[in-house]
Amino acid sequence: MTAARGAISVVVGTVLLRLALTGVYQRYLRVGMRPWLVITGIVVVVLGIAAVLRPDDDEGDDHEHDHHGSGRLGWLLLAPIAVLLLVAPPSLGSFAVDRANAVDIRAGKTTFDPLPAGEHDLTLLELSQRAVDHDGASLEGATVRLTGFVAATGRPFRLARYQIACCAADAAPIVVRIAGAHGDPPERDQWVTITGTYRPGSAEGDHFPIVDATSITEIPPPEDPYE
Amino acid sequence: MGQAIREAGARVERGVDRGVVGVAGVVLAAAVGRPVVEGLLDRPAVGNWATLFVALVLQALPFLVLGIGISAGVATLLPAGFLPRLLPRRRGLAVPAAAAAGMALPGCECGSVPIARRMVGQGVPPAAALAFMLAAPAVNPVVLVATAVAFPGRPAVVLARLVASLLAATVVGLVWSRWGDHQVAPMPTPERSRFLATAQHDLIDTGGFLVIGAAIAATLQTAVPRTVIDSIADHGAVAVLALAGLAVVMAICSEADAFVAASLTQFSLAARLTFLVVGPMVDVKLVAMQAGTFGPRFAARFAPLTLIVAVGTSAAVGWWLL
Repeated sequence: MTAARGAISVVVGTVLLRLALTGVYQRYLRVGMRPWLVITGIVVVVLGIAAVLRPDDDEGDDHEHDHHGSGRLGWLLLAPIAVLLLVAPPSLGSFAVDRANAVDIRAGKTTFDPLPAGEHDLTLLELSQRAVDHDGASLEGATVRLTGFVAATGRPFRLARYQIACCAADAAPIVVRIAGAHGDPPERDQWVTITGTYRPGSAEGDHFPIVDATSITEIPPPEDPYE
Repeated sequence: MGQAIREAGARVERGVDRGVVGVAGVVLAAAVGRPVVEGLLDRPAVGNWATLFVALVLQALPFLVLGIGISAGVATLLPAGFLPRLLPRRRGLAVPAAAAAGMALPGCECGSVPIARRMVGQGVPPAAALAFMLAAPAVNPVVLVATAVAFPGRPAVVLARLVASLLAATVVGLVWSRWGDHQVAPMPTPERSRFLATAQHDLIDTGGFLVIGAAIAATLQTAVPRTVIDSIADHGAVAVLALAGLAVVMAICSEADAFVAASLTQFSLAARLTFLVVGPMVDVKLVAMQAGTFGPRFAARFAPLTLIVAVGTSAAVGWWLL
């Protein structure tokens, strides 16, 4: 059983390292976690190799098992590993947008300086905060570029992106409405970058702000899908 | 050198039992079966569940390994009886002292479970070790700073969280020392030569329960929209209980829960304090890990007690400070 434990450790640690080094971990965790994942992966792999090379005497094994009979539960650690290998789940999509609590846009009551003329990459959070600050005065005359996924189709369609503090389990969505698109609107869960201008007054009464788009480009999901 | 390798090789052969073959089989099956299951992911609910499940496990593992490292270090480096001597002799003082000592452990709740288990093994009174386990994830500097960042301009929330968490941990510890001590099976302290084996057991065994807890939490989060509780935000006591329940169900890291609490703007600050106090002490992931570490019978009594005390103290402190 000890050797099996060691094998589980090696598998788990290897997958951790792979997720960290390929950047795929960003679908599940916030960006700063990479060094911790690497350290954890190395420790777990080393522990596993040590256990395979130096299996415990059976006596010691039974000793621990007697208490709770938990020895076999280690198998369950393989379940998330299996899921990862099987499907490498995508980042959170539109499913949870309407089910989670949205970010509190008005927290902190930030006041913004006007954006200089020209194009600006903004997060959905910053756009929303600017929209409720003095009726979006700081966005006047500026062209904004936003990236997110389509949370609801229709006209205007909804563009959303999650904020995460730690992992996807604490994700909170931010939603912006996109109007002025010509042709077929993009499909649900499709990632897009849109360029456009904020429609003044559209965020009044706790409505999601509207951006009138001049261009909509479909893009592959970004490496870091959260804000 | 060559001989050592041969010996190791022989040990490997002896060690390669059905278990190792089983592990290899599961990995192989997962890799081969990938295309079959990929289609499932197109169902939004399934994809959502899988993402949450993987995220919860991944997020907890570094903290679990940190806790296991500290736990194994305590077991192998500190002389027996060292930790108990650090605490006041009288139990009425030892429990709050242990709770306050939780301020020194940066991390979240997944790490404190194996450490508490090791403390009991070192001879610390179970009540004190449990008070430490409950308090540490909520009162350490990392979590308090995160709370301050999530509630800008409201330092009272940080203070209330600190006070209510210490109070709840102390009360649970004292109640447990009066009525429940005998139900904690003390872990045998392993010999020094078994450092790696100790860490190994802790990791795989606690990790298994972490996976059960994460699966339950992901299922509940996917099945029950968080917005369901919005409708009861205005009903004082009900709102407090609703957020306590949400904390149990969501099972998020104590380093992140303040940001979620901050987004629950429709609830009163007192109700959100309950969320912050209950979450690091009782949630589905944590209860599963406690059941694995201290036994299911322990968890069946300890978790409800902790939940009741945590709701009570946070309501009282919230009424006083917020």
